[in-house]
Amino acid sequence: MLWVALHFPLLSLESFAATLLAGDASATSALPAIALVDEHRISAANAAAQAQGVKPGLKRATALALAPRLTLGQADPARDAEAMLPLAHAALAFTPQVSLQPAAEPGTAADTVLLEVQASLRYFGGIDRLLQRLQRAIAPLGHAVRIATAATAQGAAVLARVAPPPRCLNLASTRQALAAAPVWLLGPGREHWEALQGMGLRQVGDLLGLPRAGLARRFGETLLAEIDAAFGRRPDPREAIVPARLFESRLELFARADSTEQVLHGAQVLLARLVAWLAAQHSFVRRFRLLMHHETRWQQGDRTPQATSLEIALAEPSRDSEHLLVLLRERLAQVQLPAPTLEIALQAEDIVKRAAPNSELFPTRQSENEGLTRLIERLQARLGADRVQRLAGVEDHRPERASRGQRADASGRPARMTPRGGGRARVADSRVAAASSGATTSCPSHPVWLHPVAEPLAERHSRPLLDGRPLSLLSGPERIEAGWWDAELAERDYFIAEAADGALVWIYRARLPLSAAAGNASGWFLHGRFG
Amino acid sequence: MDAVPAPVAAPPRPAPPGAERRLFLRSPPRESSHPLARDRLRAPETLHPSLWLGHQLGRTGSDAVATGFARLDAELPGGGWPRRALAELLLPHAGVGEIRLLAPALVAAQRAGRLVMFFDPPAALAAAALAGLGLDVEELLIVETRARVVPGSDSLWALEQALKSGHVGAVVAWLPPRLRVDRLRRLQLAAHHHDGAAFVMREAAVAGRPTASPLRLGLQAGGADRLQVRVLKRRGPPLEAPLSLELPTVLSAAARRRSARASERAAALHAATFVDFA
Repeated sequence: MLWVALHFPLLSLESFAATLLAGDASATSALPAIALVDEHRISAANAAAQAQGVKPGLKRATALALAPRLTLGQADPARDAEAMLPLAHAALAFTPQVSLQPAAEPGTAADTVLLEVQASLRYFGGIDRLLQRLQRAIAPLGHAVRIATAATAQGAAVLARVAPPPRCLNLASTRQALAAAPVWLLGPGREHWEALQGMGLRQVGDLLGLPRAGLARRFGETLLAEIDAAFGRRPDPREAIVPARLFESRLELFARADSTEQVLHGAQVLLARLVAWLAAQHSFVRRFRLLMHHETRWQQGDRTPQATSLEIALAEPSRDSEHLLVLLRERLAQVQLPAPTLEIALQAEDIVKRAAPNSELFPTRQSENEGLTRLIERLQARLGADRVQRLAGVEDHRPERASRGQRADASGRPARMTPRGGGRARVADSRVAAASSGATTSCPSHPVWLHPVAEPLAERHSRPLLDGRPLSLLSGPERIEAGWWDAELAERDYFIAEAADGALVWIYRARLPLSAAAGNASGWFLHGRFG
Repeated sequence: MDAVPAPVAAPPRPAPPGAERRLFLRSPPRESSHPLARDRLRAPETLHPSLWLGHQLGRTGSDAVATGFARLDAELPGGGWPRRALAELLLPHAGVGEIRLLAPALVAAQRAGRLVMFFDPPAALAAAALAGLGLDVEELLIVETRARVVPGSDSLWALEQALKSGHVGAVVAWLPPRLRVDRLRRLQLAAHHHDGAAFVMREAAVAGRPTASPLRLGLQAGGADRLQVRVLKRRGPPLEAPLSLELPTVLSAAARRRSARASERAAALHAATFVDFA
């Protein structure tokens, strides 16, 4: 058995810092001074606050006198637990045996994750490699971490609090390191710290030589039980945590977010949690939702919604936090917040389990398709899904109806997957026809560019003018008469004409004066250009 | 940036005889040293791909995309449209024959199994006409960015994303007018990641302004089914005379004769020559 303990000494402080908005951080300096207050006393302070002299144990008023710009918050066990869960999820990517060490003091959240990694060592290439990858996996969540390894779970949890945390790979070295650890690291040892100190019992090793019955009588059974578990003399079963089937993580913002950029800062934290959850399940997300809960306004007839929901669907399931963040940023940039946001939540339920993608040195067809999918997703996220289109031919003789832009589905490219599928048969046919009948006659005289609305042309001596200069008709008429079955009857005679500068244009006039009277204006119209 | 002269203005200077010898052979005695070395100095392009003589066409490192027009290929550095660089085409208006000019290169990209993207085409595209040019409309994406609040910002962003991704086979973009030089420079930098041809269409009025793209052509209709191409900038000596390219024809033979006659007479046919239903 080899246990790894991840101890997060500043968890409360960091989970509080995550709720601060990016705008607050840039207002003062790169690192704002942040401290946590517990019953008018500072319980934790970050490096920027400590540089100004704020130390744990100071009174609130003293701290504010030292650092007037200090941001004070309160530890919230629920918030800490919410921040702790993704850390455990990140660890689940390495071994299924992950558990949380229960908090030493009641009323606080757990701050240590325990992993049993003996079975994973060979796969990850040794303990050093494994710890490296573990650190990389939890880095995006942004918590300072202390890592200790030990042969017992309790031992690892205790040793992770020692500075610097030792790496013990077998039971003997674990016991040796534990014997040198201070007594107050044990849960009951903290309660009886003063009594133990008075007896000259400072280190765990000092307790080992004492009669067990006396220790149990004075300090309770739990102290002995913890020592035995840490030294591996007593079974210490741990219940492995299982990630929830649905992902939901909330973040209550410290201050109101008025703009979507501020929301994005908080959403970044939630996205990192989502990615950790996905990694724990070896799955990829296909669709997720960002909920922004708004401030309630107590006004009569106020129609401001309680929450704004932003749904993001991916064409290709992904768990790349960078890609997800880009999509979220582009979508958020389009959203107008109806009211300031107090709390954001991220939900995901539509996930796909599949093998992790291979990383490749050289670009392949697959990586190119994936890159294209991402490109199209990114374009669609910013421009709108309808702005990225694919042309499709329609069976209609009226040129303005013969092609239609369809929304391009990013994952699409079905034509690429099945090289000669049925979907492109018609196009292929037309191409075959073009090839067989010779290029000169195949695409007869239909222009590439079409004006969406035919442009009326001026006339002089019944000759059409373009830009004030006469057009000379070269070929025609080609009659297109279609659409009697719907409201847009077209009866037109098309001509190819040469403009004064030599460009070819496609012009028409209504076939009959009668149909002209019926709605189509008489005269010449410019309908297309030969690109 | 204005200090960089567009190479259009400089008239072609015929290289004086022996100029290359003066340039590269400072010491005549060495000339007789070895016949092979002499030949190599006369033809520095055999030494390194990025060396060329002043009167020769530059040759790009990677192979260029054939244009499908032999006369144009002969005048372009590398023998075709450049890869990993922008090719700037200046058009007086849409519809001078630009799609027919680009079609062979775009079709080649699609044949290689890659996607072609159009950004902000100036008018609606007809699928059947594109298919007639050999393009597969299913492998063609059209990105519209014009309808946005701030004009120009999104179109450049979208184009830059596509170029940077490096996964698109060929890109054709109609750029917003009056584009600043540094914007184009940014696109040119992004194009380094793009393995394929990238065409940007701009208005003809910028012909005298400096550009960051290594190739700039001015297109003009040169009569029915003909396209006049002026090479405004290239890696190599300036080309004074415009090229007249024969485009894939849309007219019948009779109509072409009519067009030729009409241009000869400079008097176009009267509309009444055709059937008048009025």
